[in-house]
Amino acid sequence: MNCNMMKRLTSIAALAVVMTVGTTAVAADWGTIKGKFVFKGDVKPEKIVPNKDTEYCSKHELVDESVVVGDGGELSNVFVYLNPGRGKKLDVHPDIKPAAEPRILDNKGCRFEPHAMTVWTADKFEIRNSDDGIGHNTNASMLFANPKFNEQVTNGAPIMKQFTKSESYPSKVACNVHPWMNAYVLIRDNPYMAVSAADGSFEIANIPAGKHDFAFWHEAKGNLKDLKVGKDKADRKGQLEIDVPAGKTVDLGVIEITPALLGK
Amino acid sequence: MKLTSRNSVLLTAATTLVALVGCEQAPAPRFHLNKVVMVSNEISPAYQQEVANVLAAMFGTPDAPYALPESGLNQQRLTLAAGAAWSDKQGVDRGLYRKHCVHCHGINGDGRGPTARFLNPYPRDYRQGVFKFKNTYNPAKPTDADLRRVLNNGVPGTSMPSFSLLTESELDALLEYVKYLSIRGEMETKLAQYVYDELGEAEKEDENGEPVLDEDGNPVMERPPFDPATNAEQGDVVKEILTEVLAPWQEAVDQVINPAEDQLPADNRTDEEIGASIAKGRDLFYGTKANCFTCHGPTGLGDGQQSDYDVWSKEQKAFEDATIQLQESIVSQQKEIARLGREGEETDEEEAKLAADEALLALRQPVAHNFYPIRNAIPRNLRKGVYRGGRRRLDLYCRVSAGIAGTPMPGVGAATPGAQGTLSEEEIWNVVDYVLNLPYEPASNPQPALPWNSDQIAN
Repeated sequence: MNCNMMKRLTSIAALAVVMTVGTTAVAADWGTIKGKFVFKGDVKPEKIVPNKDTEYCSKHELVDESVVVGDGGELSNVFVYLNPGRGKKLDVHPDIKPAAEPRILDNKGCRFEPHAMTVWTADKFEIRNSDDGIGHNTNASMLFANPKFNEQVTNGAPIMKQFTKSESYPSKVACNVHPWMNAYVLIRDNPYMAVSAADGSFEIANIPAGKHDFAFWHEAKGNLKDLKVGKDKADRKGQLEIDVPAGKTVDLGVIEITPALLGK
Repeated sequence: MKLTSRNSVLLTAATTLVALVGCEQAPAPRFHLNKVVMVSNEISPAYQQEVANVLAAMFGTPDAPYALPESGLNQQRLTLAAGAAWSDKQGVDRGLYRKHCVHCHGINGDGRGPTARFLNPYPRDYRQGVFKFKNTYNPAKPTDADLRRVLNNGVPGTSMPSFSLLTESELDALLEYVKYLSIRGEMETKLAQYVYDELGEAEKEDENGEPVLDEDGNPVMERPPFDPATNAEQGDVVKEILTEVLAPWQEAVDQVINPAEDQLPADNRTDEEIGASIAKGRDLFYGTKANCFTCHGPTGLGDGQQSDYDVWSKEQKAFEDATIQLQESIVSQQKEIARLGREGEETDEEEAKLAADEALLALRQPVAHNFYPIRNAIPRNLRKGVYRGGRRRLDLYCRVSAGIAGTPMPGVGAATPGAQGTLSEEEIWNVVDYVLNLPYEPASNPQPALPWNSDQIAN
């Protein structure tokens, strides 16, 4: 019995070795990148005057969220994500675990909360409606690798989703009842992605050490073509190769975004 | 007299000319690339030609379509549907698509045949692979039975007529050809995205991954051709993309909505039972859980949310908006360059970007200019009793449960087999009962008129 178990364990170990060899690039070391986006221009967020559920929605001060900046121009909602190339898989640091709770996109106060988010395919995804007595639908017709959906979401009965494939770009999600409502969700089969926070900063930790292409994307323009990051410049797809050394943090510093870059 | 003879000479000349032109064989129709897809993915002319070559190798031409073995498409049916319209000696019609469909749906299946401009709604563009009237779950493809139903019944309330007078084999041929055009169209989009994402002009690298430099120390650029026939890696990718496009078609039969038997409303319901179901459906229709009234309006006239678009309009709207945005951006860039110039600053980089954007605008504008007016998706007026996807109770059940793919209409039932929906099946049947009753329900609630002799009727 014991002997049998030993045998089985050994064969599992052997299998593990074979698999490790098979996947070749197992990075023993990991690195981090971070940075901060600052918008070099004026943004006057347009006020939204609701034309549906006006009584309820007017209570919330709704503004156009296509370009959201802080007092010092800190630009939020910029997506940064590692693009290993078509069909290539990445090693995931053992500390990065799928979220215990589902990642939540909430219909709240006649807007989506959050406005921009990332979902790893290992995570669960949940759509809620926290607006009491208000009907919302969530229309994800801009999914390409995963099945599209368009569902009514009611109070207290969230929609659960599990994605299986990487989308190339953040996908627009809309509510057709309230045409001003939209959000952007980036679905990837690896956890190496981030959305810049309210202070414009982002960080992607525990990336396998080595050279990787990172994509920079903002909803106002899409790919941030020719984005200047330090001395380097992103290519026509808004991608930049960054060398991530083991055990180090690459600080990309302040990344300036001009109005022209966002198509303004 | 003189005048007449001159006229007759002219007339003869004109007749000869017409005869000559008339005799000339029209060139064989060709598939055209999807300009919106090509321009928005910034596919260069060289790559466009290569994408067209790959598509031709995979799918053939409008005169000689090719059924890829992997696709499961039937070559015989495609051949019967394709090519010029004519009848053979046995009286069998050939070129069915061009005889019955092309004038609206176009050679490419882009819904832009010569009559399309005059129709409302516009004919369907198959190339996105999205179909509205089907009894499968929202993201799923239609089954053959779904497509056949549309061909047989037409789409009531639109210009799409019924083709129920065609033979079974003719309908089979046409639905096969629609699938073929759809698969080809989706393939085209995905190939363009692949070319954008993975190919394109890049700095040439040597074996060690170092950039190759020319005499002046500038990196040498190279354009890796898109040629899956000689490049095995690209060949594998194309096969993979094809599998992605084909799989949903092959899985459609497993995605059919089957309402539970025990939830089906009985055939022998009493008036009271039907009335109770209609009343429940009414509450749901005007409640926020099902939320039908927000779009279909407070009296079901379809006068709720009317400012939205379906995915076909949205594709063009997004393209048009981006083009306008680019135009505005060019104006502000010009101002910025002028300002920098006045302040004596370098503007080389700004000017390079401006030139690139201007070149892009020159490509986009003619495409946007050729769009037909973009229309909103207007919610259906449910008081007319005309149901585009069919008037069987099951048809309405599927519309309500799965929503209508490609449109703003969301589903309230299970999104996938076995999933939990917002409404229960019973509730969906209630909504169906109410919707079927809507044309007979007074829009307002007037007092019934009193009989003329009411004063003579004893209290």
